[in-house]
Amino acid sequence: METINKISWEIRNDIGIITLVNPPENYLVQPEFVPIETLKKWTSYDYLKGIMICGAGKHFSGGGKLENLFKMIGDKEPISETMGKGKAVLEHLENLDIPVVAAIQGICFGGGLEIALASHIRVCSENALFAFPEINQGIIPGLGGTVRCPAKTGFPKAIKFIMSGDMINAEDAMEMRLVDFIVSKQKVFDFSFTFLQKLTRDRPLPVINAVMKALKNARSLSPEEAMKEETRMFCELALAEAKRRNGSSES
Amino acid sequence: MNIPGYSTILLQIDEGIGRLELNTPPSNTMTMKFFTEFSSVLEFISNSQEFKALVITGHGRHYSSGADVPVLLKEILEKTKTDEHGRLTVVPDFLSNNYRSLLMLESFSIPVISAIRGVCLGSALELALFSHFRLCGEDAVFGLPEASFNLVPGLGGIYKLACISGEALALERVLKGSTFTAEDALKYKIIDKIVPKKALMPTAFNFAREVMQDFRVEKRGLYIKKYFS
Repeated sequence: METINKISWEIRNDIGIITLVNPPENYLVQPEFVPIETLKKWTSYDYLKGIMICGAGKHFSGGGKLENLFKMIGDKEPISETMGKGKAVLEHLENLDIPVVAAIQGICFGGGLEIALASHIRVCSENALFAFPEINQGIIPGLGGTVRCPAKTGFPKAIKFIMSGDMINAEDAMEMRLVDFIVSKQKVFDFSFTFLQKLTRDRPLPVINAVMKALKNARSLSPEEAMKEETRMFCELALAEAKRRNGSSES
Repeated sequence: MNIPGYSTILLQIDEGIGRLELNTPPSNTMTMKFFTEFSSVLEFISNSQEFKALVITGHGRHYSSGADVPVLLKEILEKTKTDEHGRLTVVPDFLSNNYRSLLMLESFSIPVISAIRGVCLGSALELALFSHFRLCGEDAVFGLPEASFNLVPGLGGIYKLACISGEALALERVLKGSTFTAEDALKYKIIDKIVPKKALMPTAFNFAREVMQDFRVEKRGLYIKKYFS
């Protein structure tokens, strides 16, 4: 196990586990909650088939401590740059070509929720709580939450959620498609880990990578471009499969 | 009225409503020939002023079991251009034409309704996903099984499923590759309404008759609310 900035990393079977270790609320030390170079190193093992992100103890994460953020203003690095580094970390996670699951229990606020939203699948416990409290301090979510939240929930619900700063429970989060699964408190980690394993166990990496790339394209390209790429990836895999079946597979 | 000229598709028109049946029994496999004919049927319909709505269904008990994978693989092996390392350089036209057909279908200004009985797998589900509305019988079976034979859906199925059902669901269904029921399909928003099997075609045609009066794709949600809730 490796630890940096109160974030730990371990690999179990072929699943990487990122744990936010700053209990009790697992506040994020800074927007770039794990140095991007470290994250890139961790996620570059070519046998990894999935990643789980979770919080140590009772909670996922209370997000960034806003007092700390306000203190950073006036530092030699402009705040936009500091936030930019945080956003780059989340973009790296979101654009990985293996699935990322957020295993959420307890509180999942602000930057914590933005980490969850950058994951591909969100599993939460019955007692999970979600909020973007930034508005209460006169600011807004700054790590892509204002973009990723409406992408999941639609604009009307996202506006109400972000503008109110109100806390919602697991059921409401499920209702607005902010989370994908609700499980009992004891099962969040097991369920998430097993789910990832079952999903990827019998699938070769090129297939997993193609699915993830197609999903990335669905987020970022026009329908025509996304479909064109999907057909191209299908063709690549089909070519390899045809050769394999022919027994003439090349390197 | 029957419109002749196709061997893998039955095309009829009645009071402005087209009925396009996949017709390669028993499970209406989408053969190479089917895809070619499907593309020209779409051209024909879009050039005709007669069609005010289109209902797509399968002849017999099934919608379709999807593409003819062994033949498709063989064709791809023969027709795909590769570099000296055997890597793909150019996707063969016959493959690109297939996703273009689905885009064309989706861009129709007349409502396109898939009425699904029996199996609806792989490319057949992709076809259904690019229809404007999807109704099914209670016995319908859905799935994108491609990953279980080392492939992925290739006609925009991943893209479209992510749009309709969300990224997590698309990821799960595509990687698992297992089949799912009509109830699940409804829950995932893949299906707009489950209809008793015997009432499926009458319901689809009645719905087509209503919607074709003032169809606009942006009003999809309103039509479903009005007729199916």
